[in-house]
Amino acid sequence: MKTRTLIYALLLALTLSACKGEKKLAQYSEIYRERPAAIYVAPLSDMSLRRAVRATEDSLFNRSLNIAAHQLFLTATDPLVNNGYYVPGPLASAQIAASETRTGKQLRNESINDYHSDLGIDAILFITLQGWNQTPNSWSTEVEYVLRSTHSNSELLHVVVKATKTLPTDFKGNPLPLVEDKAFAERYGCDLETAQRCRLVEIVNQYVLKDLPAGSRARQHRAERYIQSHPEHFTLKIHPDGSVEMKKSEQ
Amino acid sequence: MTNVSKGTFILLATLLLSACSGTYHGLPRAEMLAYQTYRTHGSLHALASAQAQAINDAVKADTLHPGQYADYGVALALMGHKSAACRMLNAEIKAFPESRSLVYRIKQRLMPDLLLDTAATARDTAHLAQLAGWAYDSLTALLPLPSVPAVIDSTDTLFLQMQTPVDSVEIPIRLTANQKRQLLEEQQAREALRKQAQLDSIAAAKQAKIDARRQAQLDREKAKKEKEQAREQARKEAQKERERQRKEKKKKQ
Repeated sequence: MKTRTLIYALLLALTLSACKGEKKLAQYSEIYRERPAAIYVAPLSDMSLRRAVRATEDSLFNRSLNIAAHQLFLTATDPLVNNGYYVPGPLASAQIAASETRTGKQLRNESINDYHSDLGIDAILFITLQGWNQTPNSWSTEVEYVLRSTHSNSELLHVVVKATKTLPTDFKGNPLPLVEDKAFAERYGCDLETAQRCRLVEIVNQYVLKDLPAGSRARQHRAERYIQSHPEHFTLKIHPDGSVEMKKSEQ
Repeated sequence: MTNVSKGTFILLATLLLSACSGTYHGLPRAEMLAYQTYRTHGSLHALASAQAQAINDAVKADTLHPGQYADYGVALALMGHKSAACRMLNAEIKAFPESRSLVYRIKQRLMPDLLLDTAATARDTAHLAQLAGWAYDSLTALLPLPSVPAVIDSTDTLFLQMQTPVDSVEIPIRLTANQKRQLLEEQQAREALRKQAQLDSIAAAKQAKIDARRQAQLDREKAKKEKEQAREQARKEAQKERERQRKEKKKKQ
């Protein structure tokens, strides 16, 4: 009886694991087929409405939206890099964008084969910030991600995300800022409202892009990383302020 | 029990640390965000300084981020230090060979005179440490900063070190100078064609807009005429009806 139960459990586990693989393969079939190695993040198109600058509050609101849009653009590279793709940094991307004569709409719809032939880029990620919505204790945003191949000009990924972040409230119903948001505001020197938006778009980026298939050079990349990041001996030193210092042995 | 808990805690901490070492962190995000938002010379210098520090740390920890050298190179080029920038861009090619075409384009845009210079600094870490201090000194001494330093002290040892290719490693050039020139000409021709196509499309769009406007105007005029005719017809019919009613009234009387 126990043996039979075990066999059933094993079969169930195998089926479930197979389903997971199939799902990812089906979801990212185009990326698996093309296997891009270098991805360029195109300048963000921000469709969110700005308020006319009439009072200090309005300019602060606009500034908050601008900083959040920049944060969305800057943090989009992290999950891609962690998946083993080569992604040019923001300053290098700005130079590429400055030498581009086509508009964003043209880049999304027309041929982008020259990015592969001239720059060695395999795919371009277009991010569109559709807008923001805000209630006293929640922040919502809608972001569209389009990944286009520079080989076949086809869409490898098209995702539209609507994300909402709800804050806890006190007994009067006023929102209580999270500790992480406070730390972000302190570190980046911005106000709490901007921190809420920035942290939300950062999480959205992670959510959408962290599960992408690994880049075509990822296996080698990871192997190298594993060898280099695990030396035979290393020393950990924990400081009184909680920071950890790691010292590797010379190889 | 306490020992077991401590052991488990240490094991978990080690596992967590080893897991974290694979991901890329420690990029100067705050400085980058400040530069993207304000675009000032001060924020650029602060960013360059932080980038140098981040590269130093990344080189020590073997977690170099793709594009990190290139970004620092672009920052240096924007500050006017083209020789150092060229070395950083070449170091990017050395670390990530897939960035060769991209870096070539950036060099073509920012430092066309150093296009064929392929010397990458061998002792990147030491140079970066000095560059970090240099950027910080410039920031404190020269605010507000010009885009290109007006005077460079020729006795500056760092500047001399960057000029001398003693510690440099040559990256093999795959293309000859003639091929590069040809490539450049091809690219220029392609860009000219693209610009021409863009101008043509703009002209076509303008013409289409004019045609559409003209057609709309004709349609409006036609509709207006039809409306006037209909109104005239209705007026005439109403007049006839009134005449008819008047005649009927007269007959009854």
